[in-house]
Amino acid sequence: MREQIDIIRDILDKQLVDRDHTAMGRVDGIVLSIDDGAPRIDHFELGFVVLACRLHPRVEQWLRAIRTRWSVRKSARQIVPWSAVQDITQREIRLDVHAIETSAFDWEKWLRKNIVSKIPGSGEE
Amino acid sequence: MKKATQLALGVLTAVGGFFDVGNIATCTQAGAHFRFQLIWSLILATIVVIFLIEMSGRFAAVTKKALPDAIREHLGFSFWFVPFLILTAVHLLVLAAEIGGICFALHLITGLPIQVWALPVAILVWLFLWRSTFNAIENSTSILGLITLCFVVAAIWHHPPVHEVLAGSLPSMPSHDPANYWFIAVSIVGAVIAPYLFYFYSSGAVEDEWDSTYIPINRVVAVIGMGFGSIISVGAIIVAGIVLAPRGIKVSDYHQAALMLTEIFPFWGYLLFAISMAIACLGAAVEVALSMSYTFAQTFGWNWGEDLEPIKDARFSLVYTIALLLASLFMVAGIDPLKLTIMTMATNAFVLPFVTIPFLLLMNDRKLLRDASNGIISNIATAAIVVLALVLAVVSIPLTFMGGS
Amino acid sequence: MTKQVHVEHLYGRRVRDRQDKIIGRIESIRATWKGNDCVVEEYHLGAAALLEKLGISIGRLIGWMPREPLSVPWDQLDLSDPDRPRVKCTLDELKKLSSRA
Repeated sequence: MREQIDIIRDILDKQLVDRDHTAMGRVDGIVLSIDDGAPRIDHFELGFVVLACRLHPRVEQWLRAIRTRWSVRKSARQIVPWSAVQDITQREIRLDVHAIETSAFDWEKWLRKNIVSKIPGSGEE
Repeated sequence: MKKATQLALGVLTAVGGFFDVGNIATCTQAGAHFRFQLIWSLILATIVVIFLIEMSGRFAAVTKKALPDAIREHLGFSFWFVPFLILTAVHLLVLAAEIGGICFALHLITGLPIQVWALPVAILVWLFLWRSTFNAIENSTSILGLITLCFVVAAIWHHPPVHEVLAGSLPSMPSHDPANYWFIAVSIVGAVIAPYLFYFYSSGAVEDEWDSTYIPINRVVAVIGMGFGSIISVGAIIVAGIVLAPRGIKVSDYHQAALMLTEIFPFWGYLLFAISMAIACLGAAVEVALSMSYTFAQTFGWNWGEDLEPIKDARFSLVYTIALLLASLFMVAGIDPLKLTIMTMATNAFVLPFVTIPFLLLMNDRKLLRDASNGIISNIATAAIVVLALVLAVVSIPLTFMGGS
Repeated sequence: MTKQVHVEHLYGRRVRDRQDKIIGRIESIRATWKGNDCVVEEYHLGAAALLEKLGISIGRLIGWMPREPLSVPWDQLDLSDPDRPRVKCTLDELKKLSSRA
């Protein structure tokens, strides 16, 4: 890892991959925690609600109302603790997790199970 | 050897992407209304598209990232969100126009109404994407696409007056109907510089795992591939200028455009036009639908790849599935495919600033591209292209109302 | 007491000095590694910081080089209201600080 890093340029919006290099979303939000010393990165946040909040707080409220009714995801914001970060490269951020087991794949799994696997030729045995 | 086959990617993008429903519509209109006088706008647009395609490929080769991916990462979600929504809407219109082109070709061959073909065509394109790998799509459409060379053959056959063609290669003021002249000029530029080309081409380069050693090949592909597409389009303008213009046939319907090959191929000219149109539009429809999937997957960071089976990238596969379904509804609703195409090409010109400004920013990022970032020539070209894009965006809407009828 | 601040909300936010004058937008947040932690060192403000972040060399092309970005050490930025970040000193003091560094 490099010595100096720009949190906005080098981390925010960057591609996240898991141990096997499976893409699992982007760094939609970063939370700093501030106690006595300098602020440090506490965790990343992922999800449409986080993105909506970046556009406008009202978009977020509106999206929240929809998702309480429709979403297949358990929580609005998926949290990735800083400790899960394994490596930051020019290309991506690698996490020490298994994508399929995280909520980043809730939608993907739901669509695979309920829609794609029902269409012939999807590769599902 | 592997790199030699990479030229296929260029030819695919050229035939599928360059010569598509938009070019057929705008070039035949240009020829029918103004003979060879608008060839210059095609040449101008080709130069622009060569620069932009070269940059998309170079960027992908060096950074291993396609454009939507890089724009979201480096320019941020807030920057990208509005262009992303607008481009999605435009891509949907282009997809509808390409499906319309295939439907019209089938209507010409079978005599059955266009509406009947909308859903079967959408399903055909979808099957192609659902079942094939990237390379299979690339190879089959580029070989079939060679049939569109019939426009070049026809143009040569007619012995066009060379001095008139050359005179048309330079911009000139219209002899009549200026609003229509400028509208067609803008539509040609919109048809040639179709936004999806760059997202498709750069994502394809990532799928094919290009690295920095591909930079020279990329340059050749951009020039030859786009040049090849451009020659076919010039052929279409010339044939329309020779066959349709003297008879006063103003192309307000694809049926009139279909007459253009019947003079040299009296018996099967109609059929040849229909088959060329069907194949060119099929190749383009596949690329537009894939571009939409690429753009969505990269914007939100999903796993993607046309070589994966749909079960492995459900979200990616469902984007093109839904896009094809929605786009086919335009034809089901009975919208005239030619009118839709012409309006869509003007819209393409309108959104060009969203496409070109990220190029100016990303291609100068030395931290990303190091030695491969833009030199002075590319930068002057890009800056000129951005200015041109801004001018086109401003004039395209009023021209649509004044000259688009 | 630990306080949490969202980077994506700080990004682009206008920063005021002690006299309530706007001194620039946050364009870049510099951090270093302390063990496994990623710790903020300074915030860069203004158009120069934006160009620096984009790695733009266009300035060179048209013969215009932006000034050095205004940098604010982490302990000089008061984030108690993240919607209205504020430096704890005046602009002049800040410039002195960054020229010394």
